[in-house]
Amino acid sequence: MYPYHSQITHGCCQVSEEGFHHSLSGDQFQGFPSSLSVVCSQRRHIIRMSVGFIGAGQLAHALVKGFTAAGVIATHRITASSPDSELPTVSGLRKMGVNLTISNKETVNKSDVLFLAVKPHIIPFVLDEIGPDIEDRHLIVSCAAGVTISSIEKKLLQYRPFPKVMRCMTNTPVVVREGATVYATGTYAQVEDSQLLEQLMSSVGFCTEVEEDLIDAVTGLSGSGPAYAFTALDALADGGVKMGLPRRLAVRLGAQALLGAAKMLLDSEQHPGQLKDNVCSPGGATIHALHVMESGGFRSLLINAVEASCIRTRELQYLADQERISPAAIKKTTLDQVLQQPGVTVSGGANGNSRSGLSLFNNRGGPSIKKKN
Amino acid sequence: CHCYALSGKASDMDSQLKIGFIGAGNMAFGIAKGILAGNVLPVNVRVSAPSSRNLGRFQELGIAVTHSNVEVVSGSDVVFVAVKPHLVSPVLNEISLHVTDRHIIVSVAAGVTLTTLEELLPENSVVIRLMPNLPCMVQEGALLFSRGTHAKQEDGALLHSLLHRCGLVEEGPEAWIDIHTGLSGSGVAFVYLFAEALADGAVKMGMPSALAHSIASQTVLGAGRLLRESEKHPAQLRSEVCTPGGTTIYGLHTLEQGGVRAATMSAVESATVRARELGQKSAAASRK
Repeated sequence: MYPYHSQITHGCCQVSEEGFHHSLSGDQFQGFPSSLSVVCSQRRHIIRMSVGFIGAGQLAHALVKGFTAAGVIATHRITASSPDSELPTVSGLRKMGVNLTISNKETVNKSDVLFLAVKPHIIPFVLDEIGPDIEDRHLIVSCAAGVTISSIEKKLLQYRPFPKVMRCMTNTPVVVREGATVYATGTYAQVEDSQLLEQLMSSVGFCTEVEEDLIDAVTGLSGSGPAYAFTALDALADGGVKMGLPRRLAVRLGAQALLGAAKMLLDSEQHPGQLKDNVCSPGGATIHALHVMESGGFRSLLINAVEASCIRTRELQYLADQERISPAAIKKTTLDQVLQQPGVTVSGGANGNSRSGLSLFNNRGGPSIKKKN
Repeated sequence: CHCYALSGKASDMDSQLKIGFIGAGNMAFGIAKGILAGNVLPVNVRVSAPSSRNLGRFQELGIAVTHSNVEVVSGSDVVFVAVKPHLVSPVLNEISLHVTDRHIIVSVAAGVTLTTLEELLPENSVVIRLMPNLPCMVQEGALLFSRGTHAKQEDGALLHSLLHRCGLVEEGPEAWIDIHTGLSGSGVAFVYLFAEALADGAVKMGMPSALAHSIASQTVLGAGRLLRESEKHPAQLRSEVCTPGGTTIYGLHTLEQGGVRAATMSAVESATVRARELGQKSAAASRK
């Protein structure tokens, strides 16, 4: 429960960071890891590898923005690909100096570390497309919620004997270098791969390794967490406005209050219950407000929310594992664009019911995939 | 009226403190037991009550019993007024002439304010208002006292040392006494409610009632002791019991969904507000 220093020794130089880098499994984890905003040592370690993003949407944009601000990698070493060049995030990436392409294969060829930053249901298409181009040096990092390491490895094993796969769950505040990231290591990934990913993700916030079976819970908590906070902040601001504050000021103060409270908790060894007590003077305003919150079931609402997000993640994973997904679940435009990519095809699951799913994993029911030469 | 033989009437004017009780109910008994667990000798304690009904258990402790309130006052340095609130006024009227400024009068009556007590007693009387709770009977009470106008710090310290074997003894401003009533006076009943519900839950799941109740009471007791001895925040202890994905966190979630926290806060609030109301009512009544 107390912070300790960890040394990451990399091939080129040494980095010393403060933070928590545990290997966590469910029954070992106790207490509240505290992460300070990443304090890079004076000798900032620059990653000399190339990083690629399959997908140039919110996640890619946020990560690149964070990496750039941290100075952990030069943008000319970053490539991103997307079928839709009209996305606002695409131009944002271009402005940051990232190499943009519509070809996933180009991204693969130019990269050592490959982030899969597409929606979960697109992952299988992408893997089929890039599978033949993966080489020994490649580290595949999937950021897709609910997509298991084993499903990715199963796909890639068709093309390579030892695909290096890792799975990470991060969140949008990586964009301001206050992300919360966990990762799990695949069968063939090495220690250096873990260290590399951890180094990258630690530059944009808190990062730690976990057992894969915890990732759904992490999704529910810190993956969705920023959305809970935004909702809370919106409502807090409404409260301020109701009581007479101008909107902008209300938003600013609300956000600062939550930011400050979070920082206090992370820096403190005290239980949040104790910190709450410290704020509540007897018979004062705060304890009255807290009573109102308790009466509204505030705590149980938050527990329910984390649970719902986690359960939904598992549902989506289950659906994906089932390897059937209704076309309605896929945005039609995205699917069309993906289908325009060379080397990708779809075998219809003609099973006679109204819900004929698309088979995502094309190795079923015959060789319908066109492998590149 | 009957006069019971008094064992050890205080003809000796020694320096040992003499304690008197007007009223022989549960509260008086609990406090007496706590006092005797300290340095006070039974021979220096006396109790009065109109009937003999409750006096037996005091006699068993070696305490002198009587039906005369005046006798208790005359023979004591510290007098606990442990009668029902509506009897405080007539009792104080009765003994007032015998109260000197060497006495310390400690009222245990719920809702009777220091102002009321001081109005009923001679000027310059040393008055302390004490709110105990039921577990005083087993020396695990929570007691809060508040000093009147002429009660000095030494008087408070004396009371504190007399009572410390009754449980937790704290001093505070009079305003806190109603809160203490809601929290710890009534709080005992809230805990009993919770214990009963715990047992009912176990019975629902298939455990025989007697066993369930016995375990429920031990659970409450054990948790309470651990809380007191660990000096940790209850939230901290709660977190320590919750293994990830385990039984406790599931149960706690259900409790949260039931709004137990808010209900508990509201319960303390209701009891406190009622204590204040009763205090105002009895103050108004005694002014008539």
